[in-house]
Amino acid sequence: MNRSTSRIITMAAIAIMMVLPAFAGDYPLQVARNVMMYMALAITWDMLLRSGQISFGLAGLVGLGSYATILAVVRGGMPDWLSILFAGLFSGLVAFGIGFFILRLRHTYFSIVTLALGEIFRIIIHNLHDFTGGPEGIVIQQGVMFGGKSGPLYWLTLAGLGVALAASYWFEKSKFHFALTAIRNNEVSAKTSGVNIFRWLLATFVITSAIQGMIGGIFVQSYGFASPDSVFSADFTLLPMAMALLGGIHSTVGPILGGILLGLVSEWLKLQIPYGHLVVYGLMIIVVILFMPSGLLGIARKAGSRKSTDENQRRAV
Amino acid sequence: MSKLTTTDLTRRFMGLVAVNKVSFSMDEGEILGIIGPNGAGKTTFINLVSGIIMPTEGKIEYKGRDITYMPAHERARIGIARTYQLIHPLENLSLLENVMVGSIFARGKSLKAARKQAEKLCAELGLENLDRDPSRLTILEVKRMEIAKALSNEPEVLFLDEVMAGLNADETKDLIATVQKIAKERKLAVGVVEHVMGVIRELTHRVIVLEAGELIAEGPYEEVSKNTRVIEAYLGGAA
Amino acid sequence: MAVKRQKAITWALGLAASVAILLWKPTVLIYGLQTAGLYAAIAIPMGLVLGIVHIVNLAHGEFMMLASYATYFACKALGMDPLFAIIPTALVTAAFGWIIFQITIRRALKAPELNQLILTFGLAIAFTQVINLMFTSQTYKMPLDYVSASMDIGDLTFGTWSFVFIAMAMLFSFGLQFFLTKTTTGKAALAVGQNPRGAAIVGIDVYKIYGLVFALALALVGAMGALFLTKSAIFPQVGSPFTMKSFCLVAMAGVGNIPGILSASILLGVAENFLRAFRGTRGWADIVFFVLIIVVIMSRSLKGRKS
Repeated sequence: MNRSTSRIITMAAIAIMMVLPAFAGDYPLQVARNVMMYMALAITWDMLLRSGQISFGLAGLVGLGSYATILAVVRGGMPDWLSILFAGLFSGLVAFGIGFFILRLRHTYFSIVTLALGEIFRIIIHNLHDFTGGPEGIVIQQGVMFGGKSGPLYWLTLAGLGVALAASYWFEKSKFHFALTAIRNNEVSAKTSGVNIFRWLLATFVITSAIQGMIGGIFVQSYGFASPDSVFSADFTLLPMAMALLGGIHSTVGPILGGILLGLVSEWLKLQIPYGHLVVYGLMIIVVILFMPSGLLGIARKAGSRKSTDENQRRAV
Repeated sequence: MSKLTTTDLTRRFMGLVAVNKVSFSMDEGEILGIIGPNGAGKTTFINLVSGIIMPTEGKIEYKGRDITYMPAHERARIGIARTYQLIHPLENLSLLENVMVGSIFARGKSLKAARKQAEKLCAELGLENLDRDPSRLTILEVKRMEIAKALSNEPEVLFLDEVMAGLNADETKDLIATVQKIAKERKLAVGVVEHVMGVIRELTHRVIVLEAGELIAEGPYEEVSKNTRVIEAYLGGAA
Repeated sequence: MAVKRQKAITWALGLAASVAILLWKPTVLIYGLQTAGLYAAIAIPMGLVLGIVHIVNLAHGEFMMLASYATYFACKALGMDPLFAIIPTALVTAAFGWIIFQITIRRALKAPELNQLILTFGLAIAFTQVINLMFTSQTYKMPLDYVSASMDIGDLTFGTWSFVFIAMAMLFSFGLQFFLTKTTTGKAALAVGQNPRGAAIVGIDVYKIYGLVFALALALVGAMGALFLTKSAIFPQVGSPFTMKSFCLVAMAGVGNIPGILSASILLGVAENFLRAFRGTRGWADIVFFVLIIVVIMSRSLKGRKS
């Protein structure tokens, strides 16, 4: 797939998203909100993956952001808008603290500690039950943002996705692209080219975590409720991973592609097998990693390059 | 003027001494050969000087400044660059973008300035079609790219770890001329590890010989190649 | 010399701490050791796989969960005690693990570490969710009398059944030590672990050894799955903390250091039970492993900088 095709996909996706609220009813809009939220998570997960580090901590950061928002509103009386930004800031700060330690040793260590993050945050929420509401959860008394109207909530979620897209695009076009690619390829040679690996990884971890926390804030403002089971749900880790892997990692357009496909399928699956839809994502992750590790985008690229080599050969003849 | 000196530089790996009390210095504009039988510690020595591994004992000074424990990415910034024996081009980046990395991070240039600098370096090294994927380059082009990438650090000291390996006679001759040209124009201090003695004879002003981590001889190639200890080391290595 | 002295000091401090705890709250030490046995017995197979096959199996605890479910339903159907199921479960789990290894993990061995992590993570999710789909999130438990056996020493009463986990951990540890140093296959496995390329050159079938070691590790996991069922209720997510804690212990011990896993387990088990002993700190026990792994990472990176 060449650049112009991927730009067309991005543009088409944005166009559809912009006009959707004009004619879609409440249910399609809610589906669209879910798809956009998971897509935003898929993009941020991929942004860190571009450095070769896998985070299994998406659910942990979404949950952290969710609780930051809801506690700021319920306990601190913070305005709704501000509480979402606060979630981003808080998650970023926590990521800075954790990343400062765990990014010193990388790869497997980093991944497994992130895997534990959700569990750790959940335990903390449980234990501070007087403040957090404990396992039963906590409700925003004054109700959902915008009175639960699906139109404005749609725009709010789209704004969240917009932040993720803008960040990802910025990563692709700035020094981040070079730094993360160099680190992923070979850390030793990256150092020799002057890349301060720890600093770039930490910056990436903090930025992606802040966006993930903010998405958690949007989630909780859309539903007006947070409990450990709802905001640390494994869905938040699995679905975005499956989306990014299916679409094609190390790019912005891959997670978008995978997000649209899998997002719609997942909403359907949730209705078909409410208690086991995650099994499909698990199997999909296995199949993709074994048989098409560069995703749909990789297949498209391969097909594209085969075509162009064919053309070259023809020209040579 | 001496650019880089080491004093009693030593590195042990769990009891094994890979580099043992090596003291040497490199001057501006000098091409220095680093030779020795397999496993003599040549690559370990370059790894120590470029900061990929830290020494157990000893001292490294760069332009009079103690850099013994300076992290590798900072050494890249103050002017030390190197190539690798096993070259890993950065996948997903074009030839040109590969050559930009040093300008961006070691020099802190903007992407635009780095692109310009990389174009200049590639032209200087005779690289063309710069938006190619590095996996499609010939061996000679990969070697040139690796050198261009190191030069994008704008170094004053450059180490070349077996850049001539795998090239045929014509290509080798070509690359020797290139290295001599860039070294002269930039007044670089160049350290060269090579197995082919013809290359060392033609390219270098002076050589140091390592055996089992120790510096056993030093001087112009013609002189050192007659040194009995050096001959023994090579024969011993061959046997 | 300095290292030796440091080790002696660590041992002395550990000994002093355990004496202090023993005098003050003896059950903390007793239950701590029992928990340590459970953790070590589950972590040892993970250490084995990491040391020889060089992959981190993120589905480790989930394999044990599957073994527990299999034992539960087999025992229910046959009216059998899970203790008799230990060996059959071990064999079945080993076979299952071998098959999973051949059709998935084996293909990813040459792929980047990243792919292996994602793959075994996918396996973990698939296992958990299949069980969730089949048996819902309901918990299952075997009613067994002998599990509540207890012992009185003075006015001290404590459960004794969980000592079986310590026995299991010792058995695994010594058994593996014997296997790896005294048998031909074990020696070959050790050689593969240290240098797969060298082992291949001298004619060892590396992939066969990988499959074998994975199956052996899964046999131990399966045995623990059956034994775990005697003591605990099971549910789909029951395995996942064991994956994380096992990795924590293996990381603390360092790759290839089985006795290290035992001492790391004691530290984790006693620390957790110490927190469980007080009402105010009870809820924080499950956070200990996280703190430990951060401390280990920090001290390693500091040490790394010094040398």
